[in-house]
Amino acid sequence: MVSRLSLMALIIAVSIIVGCAENNKTVDEIVFMAGYKPQANLPFVGVYVADNNGYFEQQSLNVDIKHASSGEHVKLLLSGDIQFSTSDAGSVLKQISNSEAPLTAVALLGQRGQQGYIALEDSKIDSLTDWEGKTFGYKISIPSDYMAMMESEGVLRENIKEVSVGFDPRILTEGKVDILAVYKSNEPDTIRSLGYEVTLWDPYDYGVPTLGLTYITTNDYANENPDVVRRFLKATLQGIQFARDNPDAAIEIVLQYAPETTVEHQGFMLKTEITDAISELTDTNGLGTMTDSQWKSLYDHLMEYNALENEFDYKNAFRSEFVDEIYESGDLVWP
Amino acid sequence: MSAQLISMIKQAYYWIGPPVIVFLLVFAVWEISVRLSEIEDYLLPAPSAIITEVLTNISDYAFNTIVTIGEAIGGFVLGSIFAIIGASIMYQSRFLERGLLPVAILIKVTPIIAIAPLFVIWFGFGLLPKILIAAIITFFPVLVNCLSGMRATSSDITDLLKSLNASKSEIMIKASFPNSYPYLFASFKIAIPLAVIGAVVAEWFSGDRGLGSMIIRANNNLDMPQLFGAVFVLALMGVVLTSLVIYIEKRVLFWHDSQKVENEIW
Repeated sequence: MVSRLSLMALIIAVSIIVGCAENNKTVDEIVFMAGYKPQANLPFVGVYVADNNGYFEQQSLNVDIKHASSGEHVKLLLSGDIQFSTSDAGSVLKQISNSEAPLTAVALLGQRGQQGYIALEDSKIDSLTDWEGKTFGYKISIPSDYMAMMESEGVLRENIKEVSVGFDPRILTEGKVDILAVYKSNEPDTIRSLGYEVTLWDPYDYGVPTLGLTYITTNDYANENPDVVRRFLKATLQGIQFARDNPDAAIEIVLQYAPETTVEHQGFMLKTEITDAISELTDTNGLGTMTDSQWKSLYDHLMEYNALENEFDYKNAFRSEFVDEIYESGDLVWP
Repeated sequence: MSAQLISMIKQAYYWIGPPVIVFLLVFAVWEISVRLSEIEDYLLPAPSAIITEVLTNISDYAFNTIVTIGEAIGGFVLGSIFAIIGASIMYQSRFLERGLLPVAILIKVTPIIAIAPLFVIWFGFGLLPKILIAAIITFFPVLVNCLSGMRATSSDITDLLKSLNASKSEIMIKASFPNSYPYLFASFKIAIPLAVIGAVVAEWFSGDRGLGSMIIRANNNLDMPQLFGAVFVLALMGVVLTSLVIYIEKRVLFWHDSQKVENEIW
């Protein structure tokens, strides 16, 4: 009897100690700033779902979610005001090349680039050779993947009028340009909603090395907080997997952050970005994974088309070890 | 050394001395702070890095400056012409003033950033949308000042002209409009930097030339020395254009009390 009581007392004591230990488990406070306004960009969705479904909590993270409006996220990351953000892989390379910024991509969501090119279906521009004699509108700088795509098909750029047109897609429907550079997950749907069907060209289909959105942090933060990086990626990639399996539920969560948008548009964005996030590599190794050769190809391509100001070691732009460590045989280790 | 030369040097010091001293002090504090705190260029470049960037790429900056200055001056002239015509119409009739002033206020309060993309769609990618945006931003201060100046004409003068059977238009041309010159120049000093801002904002939405386009590209590439270089050149442009307006004001309004007081300093 005494020994039974002793055993019970021991169990209770151990339970209390374990419970206290659980309660005292450090919760890391971090700030994530999405690179743009709230919408269903896949890395944003990963964060929204992780927050909503309690994945961050399960990873002992308390994440303050913010949104950038005009590119301030990278500067805030570098100044240490935020710990994680998002950026296009090409932009990461350009920013490191221009300013030696100590940025690093820790997961690659976009296995294909975000950018594509569209023409109105009625315009009878069906192939790249039809672009000759037409006006092409790009956003800020002439995209290197456009140049590579033209070269691959033997289309002469001097026969195309290239103009910088900013970000309003109505420039295409109003006939000011014949072909428009777009984000594949955004403007094609906006233009369709205006009543126009479009033809889309994706540089990836022409063998151009392109990569899309990544999660980024700084080298210093990754070095000093590798466990936080792993836990952040676990939670967000779990969120992305949830969105892949339950797109409708994920869109409902997105709408909590972006109530002024429509289910249809956000659904289109999510569907497009999930398609672009899946590749043979991710089928084998898991969502968000990346390889040296992907980054090298993109770096070489950007160097070839003078999109990078200075040469640098492309390996400084990404660190795949974090995402590799959270998968086992392509399955996310959870929790 | 002749008295005239001494006077010229004094005049030059009067105008250039204080801003140069202030700028040098600000730059010195900025340079020292950046170096002592070891702030990286991609967060805040030191003035020396900005000046090096501008001097290294001086031809790029010169070309883009010419583009932006052309758009700003074009918009300033166009906006001012429409504002003066608008003020003249409003001066003729209180009814028209009550009808048109709310429209002018509407133009004033419309956020340029909201309508700039539409201007690209309506007017294309060339200089025209940029000039129009600079004109819109210029319009209101010139309109209001011109009208106020015309309305402030002394009743003694207008009564005298009326006694000589002058028509309303003649009174406006001979008395009221000249009376608005000091007000107009005051508004020009406000409007010319605004026109520069208008041109820059317009360049953010289309086109691959001009200091506004440079700023957008630099921001995207995290090239802070270039971004600050463009801002620095823009500031210089604002100072030069405003100084030009002040110079013209002194030439045109040499007879006015405000200019006499300033001249009497020397």
